[in-house]
Amino acid sequence: MQMQSPATIDVDKAHSPSLASPFPNIDGNLLFDLSPLPLTVLTPSCRIARVSDRFLHDWQVSREACVGQQLVNFLERYLRPAGSPAVAHLTSAIDDAISSRAERTTKQITTKHASSWRARVLPIFKEAELVGIMLEWQEGPAALDESEIVRPGLSTDEAFRILVQAVKDYAIFLLDTKGRIATWNTGAELLKGYRREEIVGKHFSIFYGQDDLAIRKPELELEICLREGRVEDEGWRYKKDGTRFWANVIITAVYKDGVHVGFGKVTRDLTERKTSESRLIAAYEESEKLKSDFLANMSHEIRTPMHGMLSACSLLLDTPLTERQQDIIQIMDESGQVLLQVINDILDYSKLASGSFSITSDIVGITSIITSVVRSVQTTMHSGVHFELFLAPDLPKSVQGDPLRYRQIVHNLVNNAAKFTDKGTIRVSVSVQMEDEESYFIMTEVIDTGIGVPEPAAAGLFTPFTQFDATTTKRYKGTGLGLSIAKSLAELMGGRIGYRPNPDRHGSIFWFTAKFKKIKSLEQLQDWKRKVSGSRDGSPLPLSSTAPPDLQAEFSKIASTKSLLLAEDNIINQKVMLGMLRSIGFKNVALAANGQEAVNLVRGKPAAFDLVLMDINMPILDGHEATVKIRQSGIGVPVVAMTAYALKGDKERCLEHGMDDYIPKPVEKQYLIKTLCKWLVRTKDYRMSAGEELARLQDLRSRLKPALSTLQLPLPIPIPSVPSIPLQTQVFTIPPTIPPTEVTDLPSPPKQISRFPPQVFSPSGIQPALTPPTPRTEASAESGSQAESNANASSEAPPLLTSPEVQLTLPPPPQQTQQTDAIPESRASNNSDQIEAQTNNSPHQPEAEVPPV
Amino acid sequence: MVDFGDHVDDATFSQILEMDEDSHDFSMPLVSNFFEQADETFEQMDAAVESKDLSELSKLGHFLKGSSATLGFTKIKDNCQIIQQYGSNLNVDGSAEPDEDVCLRRIKDALAAVKVDKAELEKKMKKFFELEK
Repeated sequence: MQMQSPATIDVDKAHSPSLASPFPNIDGNLLFDLSPLPLTVLTPSCRIARVSDRFLHDWQVSREACVGQQLVNFLERYLRPAGSPAVAHLTSAIDDAISSRAERTTKQITTKHASSWRARVLPIFKEAELVGIMLEWQEGPAALDESEIVRPGLSTDEAFRILVQAVKDYAIFLLDTKGRIATWNTGAELLKGYRREEIVGKHFSIFYGQDDLAIRKPELELEICLREGRVEDEGWRYKKDGTRFWANVIITAVYKDGVHVGFGKVTRDLTERKTSESRLIAAYEESEKLKSDFLANMSHEIRTPMHGMLSACSLLLDTPLTERQQDIIQIMDESGQVLLQVINDILDYSKLASGSFSITSDIVGITSIITSVVRSVQTTMHSGVHFELFLAPDLPKSVQGDPLRYRQIVHNLVNNAAKFTDKGTIRVSVSVQMEDEESYFIMTEVIDTGIGVPEPAAAGLFTPFTQFDATTTKRYKGTGLGLSIAKSLAELMGGRIGYRPNPDRHGSIFWFTAKFKKIKSLEQLQDWKRKVSGSRDGSPLPLSSTAPPDLQAEFSKIASTKSLLLAEDNIINQKVMLGMLRSIGFKNVALAANGQEAVNLVRGKPAAFDLVLMDINMPILDGHEATVKIRQSGIGVPVVAMTAYALKGDKERCLEHGMDDYIPKPVEKQYLIKTLCKWLVRTKDYRMSAGEELARLQDLRSRLKPALSTLQLPLPIPIPSVPSIPLQTQVFTIPPTIPPTEVTDLPSPPKQISRFPPQVFSPSGIQPALTPPTPRTEASAESGSQAESNANASSEAPPLLTSPEVQLTLPPPPQQTQQTDAIPESRASNNSDQIEAQTNNSPHQPEAEVPPV
Repeated sequence: MVDFGDHVDDATFSQILEMDEDSHDFSMPLVSNFFEQADETFEQMDAAVESKDLSELSKLGHFLKGSSATLGFTKIKDNCQIIQQYGSNLNVDGSAEPDEDVCLRRIKDALAAVKVDKAELEKKMKKFFELEK
């Protein structure tokens, strides 16, 4: 408080006669003391000088307790709460009144007895001198301070209560700490159907359904609310009449002076929104389904006539035509091809975009896919372009994945490279980027010396409908979807795709990775399976209920010469199967009572049985495990599963474990005959091809020996068993020591054999192996002369490729000492036709079962 | 000819009968072997029920299902299937049934039923082979 002109007023002096009224019969002191107003007189220093009786009464204090006290000290004891800002408010009002010499009225000030007062501040001056301050207290309505509003079940602020009470669209109510309902508003009554008197005091879990109660949702909500201060939930809540509504519920923990006193709960009815949401979802799903159905139909409906047209075009091209006609039809054909590609792109893209594109799981021969793509693309290449193919030696022969989709990406990248490269090389390089227990990550790179990609366009390469250059759009037709599709496909196959500029020369490097599953330990038998699968397409035999009589007769003749192994643990089934087999002509049937016995029998006599009938569910070793063991021993005897499961997927599982076929139980005789007939009559004997192969391998080995001893250079034969050596390293470590002339002096047949490992894609008229071991950037430059000098040596080879421009660079040479071993191993998986071809000095046969162009 | 009703799948069973060469030299001992096997299996099943060994029950169910299916003894086969399913904590429709007590109860029911089926069928078979003699 500001102390102005510290005049001293003696308390007694205030009663001096000089202040007395001119009307002596009226005592001013008495008037003051008995005034019906609560009054306080302050000295200029704000000490309480005098109070009226009414003040003492209203404030419930004694005269001694206040007179003589500093106002501030007095108020601090009598106001509520202690240290209330009201004291400061009052003193500042007094200061204000003094300085402005005018009366002031304070806001409400609450005493500790819950009465509320305003002070009218009257500064009293004698000329310039302040003689005192009169406070006249005016009582106001009992006010509560804000923190007191929420006290469940107790009075709340009127306006607030009216507001809450009147809200009809929200149920707003309070719960006590236990979750019992304490208040109830109109909204709650309307929404939930309970009246206030029947619901207050009940636990709020009454609104929840059985499902929510079973998981203790109400209790959990309160727990979370206590922990986090608030909880929000959407779900079904129940009305009094049992109907339910979709509710949004917000529960807030309510505290008073730091003590938890209950929960505020606000519930909104979202049933209508929920309904419209589910209508929307249903409509969306419906339209998605229509869209994908439409796409499926479109792809068929459009492609079928397109194929018809294209076939007709190519037939027409083969007929005698004038030059002009020829040109026209050529244009039709090309336009048709482009259109077909565009349609395929759009359909693929729509499928990918809608997520309805699925990746199938099949056996993938990466090498054969690459070679076949390269060959199909090279026919469309510019004449000044050479192909180089790098296949890492550790590349798995076959893996599990989607061969079509892998091919599609490779084709897209290679095709782009061919489109945009006028001269130089296109190099395709495939290696194992990473390998774990389950899978390989295969890195495929396509490196060209073409026009490249301008830097600003590189970012948008994989964006749909983008073509980086308007001029290329005119020159090269397309949708601009190819790379975007390739990207989605690569991602579907668990890989990535990318671009970087070719650091060697002008051009691009497009690369992608794809994840393929390993064909664990079954690799060799899968290859074996592929061999025989030439005679079947993997689909079930079209079996009629009865075999033609002549087939049965013919069959029983053959059956008597065949030896079977029956693995079956149930004696009844054994007997029946034996009876059945006997009745269809079998004389030699060995029995195994479990999988282990079957394995022992087959291993004991690897060539004794023509076929094994294998029950699946057997003790000790089941049919699946037994088959895997037999295959691991390298025995290719046909194994036919018998099981009563007959569920979808059973057959697939059997085939996965290396079995060849499947007969459902109970075994039906005609079906048995058909199946056995297929494997015993129509399929090539597994032992025969093995024997032939052995003989051929020995022959190969003996022929190779002299050749290898003459050759003092490391031969470019990759050894499949070499652990993954980084491809790049190998390519650059070829010592450039042997000039081409020296190589052509080599004895011809063995040289060729040694030069063409199965992975290598070899065009006719070129001796890729004789590419001098120079760094790869120079490889294509020197290859031309070499091709000529070797033309004689390779002329006997069947022409595989029509373009003599194609240049192949082989994977780098491994160590020489390992080569003789490597060849039989790498041949082991070739099918017998190829084996024969190779023994006839036709080493240019690629491993892949791709027919020559 | 004895009417086997729904006990027997005629096509499968006649396939067995076709393998007979002289009277029922093949099928008759086979069927009686089957009933012996069934009795043995029932005993093992009873023991497994006693020890609440569900996986053993599943195995036994599968085992007897195999031979009953081969002979075309449909009713027995179906109940064996039920035993096998519940032995693997599965309902007949293939959905999971995690409550072992429920599984065990269902198995007990099926086991009781299959014993009745077997007894009925055995009677019919006896009659069948006698008549055919």
